[in-house]
Amino acid sequence: MTAMKKIEENLRKEAKRLLEGGEVSVVLAYGRGYDENHPMPFAARTVEDVDSLVFNEYCTFNLARYLPKYPPKTKIAVAVKAADSRAVVQLIQEEKVRREDLVILGIPVTGMKDQKTGEVIDNKTTCNMANPVLYDILLGDEIHGFKGGSPYDVLAELEGMDHDARMAFWKKEFEKCIRCFACRKACPMCYCDPCFMDASRPRWADKSPTPDGHLMYHLTRFYHLAGRCIDCGECSRACPVDIPLYLFHKKLAKECEDMFQQAAGMKIEDKPAMVNYGNQDSDEMLK
Amino acid sequence: MSRIGVFVCHCGLNIAKTVRVSELAEFARTLPDVVVAEDYKFMCSTPGQELIQNDIRKHNLDRVIVAACSPLMHERTFRKVIENAGLNQYLLSIVNVREQDSWVTEDEDVATTKAKALINGAVFRARLLQPLVSRFIDVNPDVMVVGGGIAGIQAALELADTGKKVYLVERSPTIGGHMAQFDKTFPTLDCSACILTPKMDAVLQSSNIELLTYCEVEEVKGFVGNFDIKIRQKARYVDHDKCNACLACTEKCPGRGVSEWDEGLVKRKAIYIPFPQAVPQKPVIDRENCTFFKKGKCRLCEKVCEQEAIDFEQKDTFREVKVGAVILATGYDLMDTKPLIQYGYGKLPGVHHALELERLFNSAGPTSGKVVMRDGKTEPQSIAILHCIGSRDKNNHEYCSRVCCMYSLKFAHLLKEKTHGDVYQLYIDMRAPGKGYEEFYNRLVEEDVKFIRGKAARVTDKTDNPDHAGKLIVEVEDTLTSQFVTIPVDMVVLSPAMKPRQDAKDMARLFNLSTDKYGFFMERHPKLAPLSTMTDGVFIAGACQSPKDIPDSVSQGTGAAAEALTIVVKDKMELEAATAIVNSAACCGCQNCVRVCPYGAPMFNYEKNVSEINEALCKGCGLCAASCPASAIITRHFTNDQVMAEMEGLMEF
Repeated sequence: MTAMKKIEENLRKEAKRLLEGGEVSVVLAYGRGYDENHPMPFAARTVEDVDSLVFNEYCTFNLARYLPKYPPKTKIAVAVKAADSRAVVQLIQEEKVRREDLVILGIPVTGMKDQKTGEVIDNKTTCNMANPVLYDILLGDEIHGFKGGSPYDVLAELEGMDHDARMAFWKKEFEKCIRCFACRKACPMCYCDPCFMDASRPRWADKSPTPDGHLMYHLTRFYHLAGRCIDCGECSRACPVDIPLYLFHKKLAKECEDMFQQAAGMKIEDKPAMVNYGNQDSDEMLK
Repeated sequence: MSRIGVFVCHCGLNIAKTVRVSELAEFARTLPDVVVAEDYKFMCSTPGQELIQNDIRKHNLDRVIVAACSPLMHERTFRKVIENAGLNQYLLSIVNVREQDSWVTEDEDVATTKAKALINGAVFRARLLQPLVSRFIDVNPDVMVVGGGIAGIQAALELADTGKKVYLVERSPTIGGHMAQFDKTFPTLDCSACILTPKMDAVLQSSNIELLTYCEVEEVKGFVGNFDIKIRQKARYVDHDKCNACLACTEKCPGRGVSEWDEGLVKRKAIYIPFPQAVPQKPVIDRENCTFFKKGKCRLCEKVCEQEAIDFEQKDTFREVKVGAVILATGYDLMDTKPLIQYGYGKLPGVHHALELERLFNSAGPTSGKVVMRDGKTEPQSIAILHCIGSRDKNNHEYCSRVCCMYSLKFAHLLKEKTHGDVYQLYIDMRAPGKGYEEFYNRLVEEDVKFIRGKAARVTDKTDNPDHAGKLIVEVEDTLTSQFVTIPVDMVVLSPAMKPRQDAKDMARLFNLSTDKYGFFMERHPKLAPLSTMTDGVFIAGACQSPKDIPDSVSQGTGAAAEALTIVVKDKMELEAATAIVNSAACCGCQNCVRVCPYGAPMFNYEKNVSEINEALCKGCGLCAASCPASAIITRHFTNDQVMAEMEGLMEF
């Protein structure tokens, strides 16, 4: 039996047990889509739903996205891969969910594939960790000795550009944007309701796709995610016009790590870096 | 339609030298809604104020813009001016054309254009200004003094004398601070303990002072007039209510710790009072060195204590104290000279630092006042005092520590008195600017002390000269004769830099103070508000602000007491009306505001999943509004609409 199949089996087993015992009222995991290669997020609420749960290398979605949507104190089991678990940790830090309301089903896995392209997802677009950082039940065997390269390797080219070239690069990329807000929709940390883009007084940016509005929307969203982005790569996979959003997020995450020695979503005890002050914090930006 | 008046101040030539002020007023007159624009030499002077008030009445103005200095200087003045002319004080907008314009450039064209842009922005914003009503709150009449050195003691006593209740918080087991370690004080050479201990005793006797020794400030909430301070009472393991200070326990104790008061020159017991005149005169147990805590048995002190005051089960306790104002007098640390290996401190036994020598002079010190080498018996025949160790030194502390010249002279005098040795002073410059200081220097010059102008380069025990064997060799360039000299001596005394307390930054963070580049607490204004800080209601006194001698520390303690009194003497105080409010419909529940607020004003309502701001705590700093990703927080007087309008006005240029 392949590792994926074993995870699927364990997922069904644990989901069944949790729902039967009434420990949780919903299990957030993956269900069948229109074919094998296109599974979808699925919320199992009854024991019967459990048969619909699947897991394979195309189950890329970050299910932490759905956690803040449930009413407070709902008992939820959530299936998480490594980056997804970091999103859960970050949400706990930000008090959007409570640890005691969650049963975290950890999925140790590598070699997930992009539904659109079929390519293996690696350190280019994600944090590329193999094991969840936080879980209650591990659905597969912990992975040892996995080396997939630094998540920041991909930044080399961008960091080599001068200011003007970088601005030109991003302007060109943003030109493609059709303002469908799929990135915002896919992002587990984009839970603001309403989003600043939906505000009308003041109206921060044009809601229709205009070049200035693109800059305002994307740059502000990047900034709002500074120190919070857990590098799951969902925004970039969700983007229908393939804007490499992960590049900007990674750059900010790297800066944040350098300045505050803290990566997003690694420890429950951490405080969100950008709204927390410590005497040892870097003063570099003031100089 | 608004009726706006624009008033441009020349500030003598401060502004008028670089900004073409009449052109600026002329420009303002062309702006829509501006009814009148004038320029005047000193807008803050009485004629200037009258000019504004007359124009308000004559032109029926409903908004006033003053282009002058920073609002920190005169916003209050002009608010009063327009209020007295019948306008709500929040219908004023200050445009800073001095600090942010005329002082930062010499180019007239650039400065004038920038001033125009700033005024244009201010006009855009002024149209949207709203009248606001100030709030009044009750003021807590009590004061907290943090730090029980001479500055803190002075402040506490002065306040207690006015009838105010004072909490004096001290982290060590006794008050007294560094002054308690000294033998004599310069330049009068009066006995330090003789002038300090009566004050310490007065603290103990005062019914208005609640003495909190062995305590630390743990958390500070609230704001001027209403601070809410959490104090940690560290476990003493001795019940001070039961203890009758018989000190039988300290006699029997087998534990040994390093005596802080004697600068580590001798050991003290594990249950101890720091020194004979300590206040309070009751012991504490030093957990680190207590045999019971280390090995699990002993409890000798418990056995001899007839009062049953020993309590090994004691834990740190916490209490909340409410006060209206706070004085910080947390003092200084002496620089550790070990890293300056060229002077050999810690390696060469003959090298002492200044506080160690103070202890040798002191009759209550480890040698009962005899100046001897570390062996405890040999009297040094020659002593070199090295000034500016770590001070006036770009590699360490650039500033002058101010007291070393004078105490080095005092040392020289006392060494002459107590030993038969030669005394050398190795100084860069002799700094004696104080009452009686220069005279003291002149007196020492006549006392056969050898002054060598030059900073010591090295202290070593290695020499080729057999006459110098066993001596310490001080190498120095005598800059008066331009000669390199080596001086063989028995004892070297280093005068190290006074530096900020190791945890000064934590303290600054607790009380929201800024620190200067060295880490000393920053005063609000170096000349005109030397005891105030940027946090209203928090004052500083003594060496926590910069190196100081006793007279200066005492004056500052008294001054800070007066400053604190200006707050707590009132029953009520006016608060800024410019506070923040949450538009709960737009709140996304991220709690950024809760985390960034230095005053603890926003609270998260878990029922409604939105933040709410307690306006009594809000100071209107705007941090929450800036960190709100959903722009759900509105800071009154700086609403999003107002700020956006101002930016629009600025960007027209």
